[in-house]
Amino acid sequence: MLSFLRRSYLNFSFMNPQYCCLSRNFSAALPPLLPVQLPSRMETHLWYVVPDEVKSAPLLSKYMELLPQSERDHVLGFRGDQLQKSALLARTLVRTTIARYQVDGHLDPRSLRFKRNIHGKPEVEWETKDGFCPPPLQFNISHTSSLVACGVTINSLIGIDVEEKRRRTKNNILAFAKRYFTAHEVEHLNAIPDSELQQQEFIKLWTLKEAYVKALGKGFSSSPFNTFTIRASSGIAVETLDSPQNLTNNWQFALLELMGSHYVAICLERQETGGAGKTLPIKLTARKTIPFVEDELVSGTNAVVTIGGSVTQF
Amino acid sequence: MAAASASSFTSLKSRPAPGLATIAAVKSGAPLSFSFRRPVPAVSRLRISCAAKPETVEKVAKIVKKQLALPAETPVTGDSKFAALGADSLDTVEIVMGLEEEFHISVEEDSAQSIATVQDAADLIEELVQKK
Repeated sequence: MLSFLRRSYLNFSFMNPQYCCLSRNFSAALPPLLPVQLPSRMETHLWYVVPDEVKSAPLLSKYMELLPQSERDHVLGFRGDQLQKSALLARTLVRTTIARYQVDGHLDPRSLRFKRNIHGKPEVEWETKDGFCPPPLQFNISHTSSLVACGVTINSLIGIDVEEKRRRTKNNILAFAKRYFTAHEVEHLNAIPDSELQQQEFIKLWTLKEAYVKALGKGFSSSPFNTFTIRASSGIAVETLDSPQNLTNNWQFALLELMGSHYVAICLERQETGGAGKTLPIKLTARKTIPFVEDELVSGTNAVVTIGGSVTQF
Repeated sequence: MAAASASSFTSLKSRPAPGLATIAAVKSGAPLSFSFRRPVPAVSRLRISCAAKPETVEKVAKIVKKQLALPAETPVTGDSKFAALGADSLDTVEIVMGLEEEFHISVEEDSAQSIATVQDAADLIEELVQKK
């Protein structure tokens, strides 16, 4: 059965065997994932994969084997190699990342089950075995064809969104913003004379707004983009239109530039303040990974540059 | 993954409102898929509608191909899912904006949420055009 699967996957052109094979032999069992301690209450873990760096057909085939049939079908439903590959890597990243946090022993990424909450946000469906207390892991994923990312916290609701810095809208930015953003945000964009900078600001705003809605996890229609403003002058904050005097203090943001090529927006439910309502910075640990192959701690390097929000990198 | 786009002119459609995630209603017990671009309402929605005219479907397909920079000969039919074609959330909002301009309509946020396929978009457009 397994070899049949392997053969059929190798037929999918996005796993073209003529891509260079790593010297590792993946026909044997996969090496174990590097286990990681759960983030502390104040920490956020960011994991990411660069699809262009994952070329081994046998490895991709192994990733496919981690997924249940429904997820495999979903991956294969995407049109074209690149889309299928990033969809596969997104599912692989979320499964392998969560599996690493296993406190006692080895958790098989295959065994994870996912469900959606009442609003549609994906969650882990932990097995309710006797005495097993599931970790209060919160996660969120985002991907483009060139980057797949997963954010993890303990307890704190999280939303992340990634986008290529040089992403261009087909529509005129201001026309788009007038239709979908708030007046304040339009004003902010309009005030930027340089069109290149304006484009980048737009993308930053877009990712921050996406991250907020994903963190809320209540569905996009419960928070249309024109019902809340992201203010990013000193620090980043969100202000909902129905209570404009009240900067919504429940949410904290970070905006990162990853590898000089991508923006990553993170929105977190605020857990604790530093007393007198002072906000503590987000403690961030960022790792680049090729699951089962290599993990690289990149926080604090110039691969991960904080460009907005209060962040300490570890 | 082009599928046959057979749509009779009048059909009683009973299907979930899938949103942009390609998901079957949780209640149906069908396999869940997990592209969390937009969450999906947990309740199935019965849609009674006439299938949109082929010309409308064609126009939608054209706008989608343009937004996603797909070659003109790419097969895009009523059943084609935006997400499967590579539309992310920004693309989808841009597509909706393009449809609003093309058809002189205004699409509410939660209607936009329920668009998963080209057919969904075409049906919604005709519904909105008729209401004008």
